[in-house]
Amino acid sequence: MSKRILPIWAGLMFLVMLISIPQCTFSGDGRWFNIEGQQSALDPKGPIAQNQADIFYLILWVTLFLFITVGGALALAMWRFRERKGDDPNYIPPQSHGHPLIEVGLVVASAALLVVIAIPTFGGIILKKQVPVHLEADAIEVNVTGYQWWWGFEYTEHGFYTANEIVFPAGRAVKLNLHANDVIHSFWLPKLAGKVDLIPGQVNTMWIKADEPGYFWGQCAEFCGDSHAYMLFRAIALPEDEWNEWLERQQRETIVGNGDYAPVKEDIEDRELVLKGAELYAQHCARCHSVDSRLQTMGPNLAHFGSRTSIASGWMENEPEELHRWLKEPHKVKPGNFMWYGFPDPSDPSRVQMEGLKDADLSDSEVDALVAYLYTLQ
Amino acid sequence: MSSHHSPDSAAAHSEPTGLWHRPLKKTGWVGFLTTVDHKKIGIAYALGALFFLLVGGVEALIIRLQLMVPENELISARLYNQLFTMHGTTMIFLAVMPLSAAFFNYIMPLQIGARDVAFPRMNALGLWCFLLGGILINMSWFFDQGAPAIGWFAYAPLTDRQFSPDIGTDFWIMGLQILGIASLVGAFNFITTILNMRAPGLSMMRLPVFTWMTLITSFLIILAFPAITIALVELMFDRHFGTYFFNVDGGGKPILWQHLFWIFGHPEVYILILPAMGIISEVIPVFSRKTLFGYPLIIFSGAVIGFLGFAVWSHHMFTTGLGIVATTAFAFLTMLIAIPTGVKIFNWIGTMWGGRLRFTTPMLYAVGFIWMFMMGGFTGIMHSSPPVDAQQQDTYFVVAHFHYVLIGGSIFALLCGIHYWFPKVSGRIMDETWGKINFYTVFVGFNIAFFPMHILGMTGMPRRTHTYKEEMGWAEPNFWATIGALMLGFGILSCIIQMIYSYYKGAKSPNDPWGGRTLEWATASPPKEYNFAYTPVIHARDQVWEDRHGTPEKRMDKIAPDPEHGIHMPDQSWWPLITSFGIFFACLGIVFFRYEFTFFGSLSYTNGIGLLVVGLVVTLVGIVKWALEGPGGYHLYPDAEDMEEIRQSQSKN
Repeated sequence: MSKRILPIWAGLMFLVMLISIPQCTFSGDGRWFNIEGQQSALDPKGPIAQNQADIFYLILWVTLFLFITVGGALALAMWRFRERKGDDPNYIPPQSHGHPLIEVGLVVASAALLVVIAIPTFGGIILKKQVPVHLEADAIEVNVTGYQWWWGFEYTEHGFYTANEIVFPAGRAVKLNLHANDVIHSFWLPKLAGKVDLIPGQVNTMWIKADEPGYFWGQCAEFCGDSHAYMLFRAIALPEDEWNEWLERQQRETIVGNGDYAPVKEDIEDRELVLKGAELYAQHCARCHSVDSRLQTMGPNLAHFGSRTSIASGWMENEPEELHRWLKEPHKVKPGNFMWYGFPDPSDPSRVQMEGLKDADLSDSEVDALVAYLYTLQ
Repeated sequence: MSSHHSPDSAAAHSEPTGLWHRPLKKTGWVGFLTTVDHKKIGIAYALGALFFLLVGGVEALIIRLQLMVPENELISARLYNQLFTMHGTTMIFLAVMPLSAAFFNYIMPLQIGARDVAFPRMNALGLWCFLLGGILINMSWFFDQGAPAIGWFAYAPLTDRQFSPDIGTDFWIMGLQILGIASLVGAFNFITTILNMRAPGLSMMRLPVFTWMTLITSFLIILAFPAITIALVELMFDRHFGTYFFNVDGGGKPILWQHLFWIFGHPEVYILILPAMGIISEVIPVFSRKTLFGYPLIIFSGAVIGFLGFAVWSHHMFTTGLGIVATTAFAFLTMLIAIPTGVKIFNWIGTMWGGRLRFTTPMLYAVGFIWMFMMGGFTGIMHSSPPVDAQQQDTYFVVAHFHYVLIGGSIFALLCGIHYWFPKVSGRIMDETWGKINFYTVFVGFNIAFFPMHILGMTGMPRRTHTYKEEMGWAEPNFWATIGALMLGFGILSCIIQMIYSYYKGAKSPNDPWGGRTLEWATASPPKEYNFAYTPVIHARDQVWEDRHGTPEKRMDKIAPDPEHGIHMPDQSWWPLITSFGIFFACLGIVFFRYEFTFFGSLSYTNGIGLLVVGLVVTLVGIVKWALEGPGGYHLYPDAEDMEEIRQSQSKN
């Protein structure tokens, strides 16, 4: 019995492995390898990501070659020189101590293979750091700031801010200056350019370019505290005419101004509800969230909130029910977030510098009013 | 065995027990707490490390259960962050390092024919500092904000009091400081032992590879740990006294932490893997019945890995905005490390080639190690290239990579070592069928758990994330990874149960059950207190193999101990234990420096300074008394059986 149990168990185990590993190359909805997933680095849509994927595949082939040759030698040795039934148990194989020619030869061969990898690597390092000259002329520039746990985008040439969705023209280079407001974050846009960290006290730079108009997903890649997992963003590459239209819209006022938060938008169904929302906004939200696109305060700028596609830093789609949930119980969507708990005082983290929605105790109808108001900010 | 006390320390032995006198009792609690025997200390290291391996394993399994399905709400984000912080810290500092230290302690002196390590009491200090450091870090779970949630890398400024006001971070800082002491005293001890206490004739180029790797690892520890010690002191000052080492508001630089951390952290990786390579280099020749292929090159490449390990730390920082020159230099140096690592793999295969392979459980783990380490090495080459790393950094691809080198590498090798040396330590052999069943479970579970993570990383799943959205398409690989992790956990648990079972009920083992090649197999299983009754005189690299199969002039000579003097053994002591408790309380005082306890609803400050002063006084008294007590020592005489063995070998020659 005990003699047979071992091969049975070993066989069973390898069967499990044979089933499971191919199985896990499918994504949940049946796509093979999820290669076109929202954040797949193997589905490049810009020159830098393309270069990175190319080098990855090059190294993959080199290492696969090594795996087959070295692994093949190992497998052959395991098979050929194993002790078989009936072998003399006292057999002593010839004691070879080594072979200088083989040893040096293998060192030289592995060094040569590394050169194959090193040359394109050098090219890739330079490409990621420097915008190529032919793209320099019509490049745009955006300041990116990482906050716990959202993204601020400043369009320096036009002097306005937006949050959590970076919009830019397809086919043109976008130079990003990366800042951090609190802790280290990392700006990662897999389909366009890999990642660069945002570090307090220093300004890092990177550039991105989308070959075609498209809608991309990105995420913070450096652990940044409680809600790190919920710090996503979207990147939208627009055709030239839509980009100009977007630029023009972002610079329009969305509220009356001078202390009046009422929207400038005319055709509103339930004006009374919206005005109630404006009042609540002024009372509970306005200290952190600016609705003037030229002004950045502690929270994400909401001047054109109604025209965004996602909320809660890319974690949810911008739909009324989702927004309701987000405003009613933000702490259940993003753990530890400041909108609910309030901002801690930097000099004494046990005290709150600014109260959060936890203390506002908004009713469902009040949240509905806020939702209605926010969608008028387009 | 008769015992007699050395005349030079006879005065110290006038009282048999008591705190102010040298303890003499070898058994019971006193014997355990005051031991200086490298074998007992080695076993204690192993038991502590295996306990923490289980703790870290449970933490890992909770992490995996949380990630099993998208948008799972099994545990909170904060608990998740605490778990991965503690999992990393526990596995590196409390499981793999001390398990390696257990082998250094137990096996290395036997391999060089020594009676003990050079500084037996310092060895005990290392053990107690390891255990108390592990306890200090894990104590944080029992305080109101719980364990630290900063990651094992603890990047500033997230560790600043502003962002992590919890006491867990302070426990983590001071716990690592104590563990640093444990590692450093161990390393100095092993270096001194290997350089000075080798048996006559055991030249450096005859040293067993495991002992060589112990030496190299110890040098790495000595050179790497000061960097983290300094970084931790700076962090402690930032948190307690408002200095600005890493705080931008006062002109500090967060990136400084990363440089200090990784100039320690990368050699640390080799501290974890070089002992593993040493074990594999011992096991493969034994079960191939062949001498190690290219011994000098294996030693040399181990040393090269050690040197290069200090020149590649910034490859952990390719995405932090280093310049083109720095990035390129660190990328190319990192690629270079592939060469000495590859050399080792070539030479292990060369050893097996033309041999007669016996696939016992240790050999299965050793071969499993080569396969898995090869996979981990290849993915390592991938992110040595910064453009590729720009995508893979901080994703599950990196998680897959380092688990392939740390589980498939270090843990497989340590399990290999446990199965291989278990008969030497316990005198009993672990059951082969059960051992092989465990091996297949561990091997397959490991691959199912970690292979899918390569796919997850390339399709965009970042590390250290509490959950993920279903539309990302990461559900399937995550589900299987969790299944695999459960299998792996089951396999490791089964291994540990088998160890405990074999210790009490296993079949009795002869002194050398495997046909070993190195000196530890020449002595009894388990070895007597004095390891070797005789002084071995070494004439060849694989001395025990030569004794059995070699030419007569290569046989070992055995010099009997002086009949008057006997064998000189070190005395036990209370002071290592007392000193380590002093250090522990001093560190605890620093942890509580700014902490407010709440007793029955009212606020009261702890007197952290009081505890610190008490701790420092105890430490100081411990060290002074330790010095005044002197090394002591007593004499043992080998029993008749041992003397007979020596006589026989002498008459043969």
